[in-house]
Amino acid sequence: MQKFLILLVLLGTPSLSLAREPTFERDIQPILTRYGCNAGACHGKARGQNGFSLSLLAYDPDADFAAITEEARGRRLFPANPEFSLLLRKASGEVPHGGGKKLPKDDPNYATLKKWIASGTPRTPTTAAKLVGISVLPRERIMTFGTTVPLQITATYSDGSSEDVTRMSQFQSNDSTYAAVDAFGKIVAGPLPGEAAVMARFQNTFAVCNILIPLPGTVDAKYYDNLPRKNFIDGHVWNKLKQLAITPSDPCPDATFHRRAYLDVIGRLPTPTETIAFLKDTDPKKRDTLIDRLLERPEYGDFWANKWADLLRPNPYHAGIKATFNYDAWIRESFRKNKPYDQFVREILTAQGSSFRNGAVVFYRNRRQPDELTTMASQLFLGIRLDCAKCHHHPFEVYSQDDFYSFAAFFARLGHTGQGISAPISGGEEIFYVNPTGTVKHPLTDKVMSPRTLLGKDIVIPPEDDPRVVLAKWVTAPENPTFAKVIANRVWADLMGRGIVDPVDDLRATNPPTNGPLLDELAADFRKGGCNMKSLIRRIATSHAYGLNSTPRDRNVGDIRNYSRHYRQRLRAEVLLDAVTDITGVNEKFEAMSPGSRAMESWTVRFDSKFLDSFGRPDPNQDPPCERSSETTVVQALHLMNSPNIQRKITDNNGNAAILAKSDKTPAAIVREIYLLVYCREPIAEETAKCVARFEKKNANRREATEDLMWALLNTPEFAFND
Amino acid sequence: MNTNCLGVTRRDCLQLGLTTLLGGGLATAMRASSGTNKIAPKAKSCILIWMDGGPTHYETFDPKPDAPSEYRGDFKAIPTKTNGMMVSEHMKGLAAISDKLAIVRSIRHDQGNHGAGNHYMTTGAPPRIPVGCGAFVSFHPSMGSVTAAEVGAPAGLPAYFSFPSMTRSGGPNFLGAKYAPFVVEENPDQHDFRVRDVALPSGLTAGRFADRSDVRVEVDRFRRFLDKTSGDPAIALDEHYLQAAELMKSKEAQAAFNIGREPEKVRQAYTRTAFGQRALLARRLVEAGVPFITLNDGGWDHHTKLFDALKTRLPSWDQVVSALISDLDQRGLLDTTLVIALGEFGRTPQINKDGGRDHWANAMSVLFAGGGTPGGQVIGATDKKGFAAIERVVSPENFASTIYTKLGIDPNKLLYAPNGRPSHIVSDPMPIKELMG
Repeated sequence: MQKFLILLVLLGTPSLSLAREPTFERDIQPILTRYGCNAGACHGKARGQNGFSLSLLAYDPDADFAAITEEARGRRLFPANPEFSLLLRKASGEVPHGGGKKLPKDDPNYATLKKWIASGTPRTPTTAAKLVGISVLPRERIMTFGTTVPLQITATYSDGSSEDVTRMSQFQSNDSTYAAVDAFGKIVAGPLPGEAAVMARFQNTFAVCNILIPLPGTVDAKYYDNLPRKNFIDGHVWNKLKQLAITPSDPCPDATFHRRAYLDVIGRLPTPTETIAFLKDTDPKKRDTLIDRLLERPEYGDFWANKWADLLRPNPYHAGIKATFNYDAWIRESFRKNKPYDQFVREILTAQGSSFRNGAVVFYRNRRQPDELTTMASQLFLGIRLDCAKCHHHPFEVYSQDDFYSFAAFFARLGHTGQGISAPISGGEEIFYVNPTGTVKHPLTDKVMSPRTLLGKDIVIPPEDDPRVVLAKWVTAPENPTFAKVIANRVWADLMGRGIVDPVDDLRATNPPTNGPLLDELAADFRKGGCNMKSLIRRIATSHAYGLNSTPRDRNVGDIRNYSRHYRQRLRAEVLLDAVTDITGVNEKFEAMSPGSRAMESWTVRFDSKFLDSFGRPDPNQDPPCERSSETTVVQALHLMNSPNIQRKITDNNGNAAILAKSDKTPAAIVREIYLLVYCREPIAEETAKCVARFEKKNANRREATEDLMWALLNTPEFAFND
Repeated sequence: MNTNCLGVTRRDCLQLGLTTLLGGGLATAMRASSGTNKIAPKAKSCILIWMDGGPTHYETFDPKPDAPSEYRGDFKAIPTKTNGMMVSEHMKGLAAISDKLAIVRSIRHDQGNHGAGNHYMTTGAPPRIPVGCGAFVSFHPSMGSVTAAEVGAPAGLPAYFSFPSMTRSGGPNFLGAKYAPFVVEENPDQHDFRVRDVALPSGLTAGRFADRSDVRVEVDRFRRFLDKTSGDPAIALDEHYLQAAELMKSKEAQAAFNIGREPEKVRQAYTRTAFGQRALLARRLVEAGVPFITLNDGGWDHHTKLFDALKTRLPSWDQVVSALISDLDQRGLLDTTLVIALGEFGRTPQINKDGGRDHWANAMSVLFAGGGTPGGQVIGATDKKGFAAIERVVSPENFASTIYTKLGIDPNKLLYAPNGRPSHIVSDPMPIKELMG
């Protein structure tokens, strides 16, 4: 039977119209959802559309039934002659419809609606079988370029029955470059090797079909067996490459690895002395020992705190300068001490006390309401985006409004006293404590919500306990399904150029990882190591995959998802500015910081810096200030070329260019030094020869030649990118 | 489908080493042969006044004086020079030149949040997947970027400017960073206005800069991965250096940026505000031949206290926009310059409990002037209470196609993304015929 059905679908025959008598909840509401009638932009909007209002994505059957059968004096339906019903005439575009022609008369769903009206608009009995879920066939498929696969969606009900609901389902591909899907569930593979997850949605349930499109041609399986494996990461990466029939790039040269490791682990360039020593070192394990050494460097704490500051740091115009400063100091201290990550999160979630004494408590000064805290905490620490569920059930998510406000209930008893927000100064001290009472209500039902972990059970918390302690325990517990994954994925994205899940903080069934087993084991390994951030970084940076070249070979040119080569990243604004400072030997001046401070140490994004703005530090006025742009722009090019500040640094009388020019070094030695400073590698003979010629030209000015060479290197991509 | 270009499969391309060609010559050649209709341009330039946040249609170009007060709001409607065209009482300047204006009251779409609405209206394409309200998304090239790619830049200037920032979806998407807007964030109302970093730093001669640039080319041996599917970010940086160098050398650019040459009277007419002087700078760039300029004017998201805010904001906005249109007209530039003003969507009919209006994509008003647009007309209508566009309903696609057609760009033309996927500039190439003249 199933074979027959699939055959039917393959032949392109539409599913037959419904044989049994249609009822409202089971058959009609799904049609309203399928055609977008109850979508947020149409009749599902809070006040409806042109007087016809449906509940968003069918969450309220009673109201929808009334809207269709009773409101507008029942004129929406005309049982005596169903085709004259406004519902059908509008939907089929027979009379003008703002939403256009949605449901053609020859569509089987049109027939279902007609039949339902003719049979007297029956409701689905409350005793009727409930929808349990849907399944998709096929669940996964390996495809070749340009081929098609039809999906078949089957709904199962609590009485064990099942039904083909393909024509009532909606479809969406997470990456239509690789595989697109049409409104009827037909998948079309694109012209590139890669993967896509195609989601089918029916009522409140969804199912995902994973599509894999390998590169044509075969690679001997032994080839993958023979690839080097330094730790578990490599095995998972090679497994994935094997499925796609793509092959990895060569390992990168030592100098590239050295510069990359410095930039990734401590956010600064190696000095010429460090580079020379590493290149000379003949120890076969020198790459691993380099990572160990870097992890012990003092810059480590500032660099990783700077990344976390993007996520946590409030706008000082809102939270106040002293609070922001304290918070920053607390974050920095946590990374300097290599505080276990679960402890770091617990300390934030359960913070109490004064905004002047406990930096972590500023988390609650900045986000003050339970709903704001819910959105922030779930996204940051669990990689779960609950923003949608605040107002409605999200169609691609499993969480409902109930889940949202039950989560918010953990923050219901947080109290504060002292001076609150009085922007733009907000200078006062505020104390946070736990109240014995306090509630969060569901905005629609007004029901007082019990604290409940996501998809968990209601929890009774005695008045003397802090609900946030219970929350923090659940968030950081070894059983939590996403806590370790989201941090492992963040760090992986930092070092490897792209998250296994992308965006890094959006973990859900409909946004699958590019390499699930890899993410699982990274997370488990992180757990096993006691949530030690340095161990996680070490694990990634000592894998063979981390040390690959960025240069593609013939079978991985288009790979930008599966780590068959290293992905180039432009240096972050602060890293880049500190690099310019190190190369030129001339310090940058920052407001409200001591002389000689580095951009990486800045505790606020409030001070002026054209450089940092050009290169995309977060905008302090944007809320939340989390997403940074890593794009290159013409403004960046102009700034590196022409900004008076960089010109000043290159030409300063006490700067490195002046010192080199004044020294008794030969031109070749000056060239070598500048290459080591900027590119962190030795120049090759041809490069030295060309650059030396500039010094030996007629009328050449040694100082100017030095400065111009430094300027030139600073204005090439080999400087601006981590290769 | 398993061929991406001229019947050559992607794999063949790789084996043949054709990939670099595909990025340039071959793709260009294909584009030329993709059956594009030549359209005679009616407009040489377009100034897009983007009212970020979504301006209310009630308090601007679609007042409802006869609606109950909870819909009507606090402002009165006033007649204009044009019979039957009523506008808000705070639009006196525009009312006086209504013979130059066409108001479309019946554009509607289905994207009720900022990220999605911006995308739809500034690219002519709906977002491909649902996007959040605060999102900055790009699935399709913006009108400014397409114009930059199709019309090209005047000598020494970028083709697409955006003041003082890019709109959310104002980027080039697959067209590449070369067609990103040139953003001038500095405020031309300030006496020391200077477009940052476009001039050489003091103390550096042009000769020495040329020397430096030679050294730069010589030392640059960083390998580029020319196959576009490799997503090499260094390629974009190269494009930006080329543009930067052109811009610095350009006399035209330096002259156009020199807003101080404008008589004080003209500067006053545009109002001495950042927005006013940006409009004036836009006119100078139009004179220099720049085809697309966006004025990204924020703060139109009036969920609260709408009337308090607009009481002061609208008269000033009206003065700037009417000054711009009149000035272009007096200089004989209005015939070839399209001026449009809009935001993501209209706003809700019923005034909310905070005295504001919320997002509403079922109706919005868009202002058109110049570029061959017949003036003194209202196109389409909303119902009596302003809930929805009901007469002559047109889409964001029709809106974008109107602009493209005026600029001489065929909206039906196919563009190719780097992966070979074709897409029409606009999926529905039908312009709004009443605006075409």
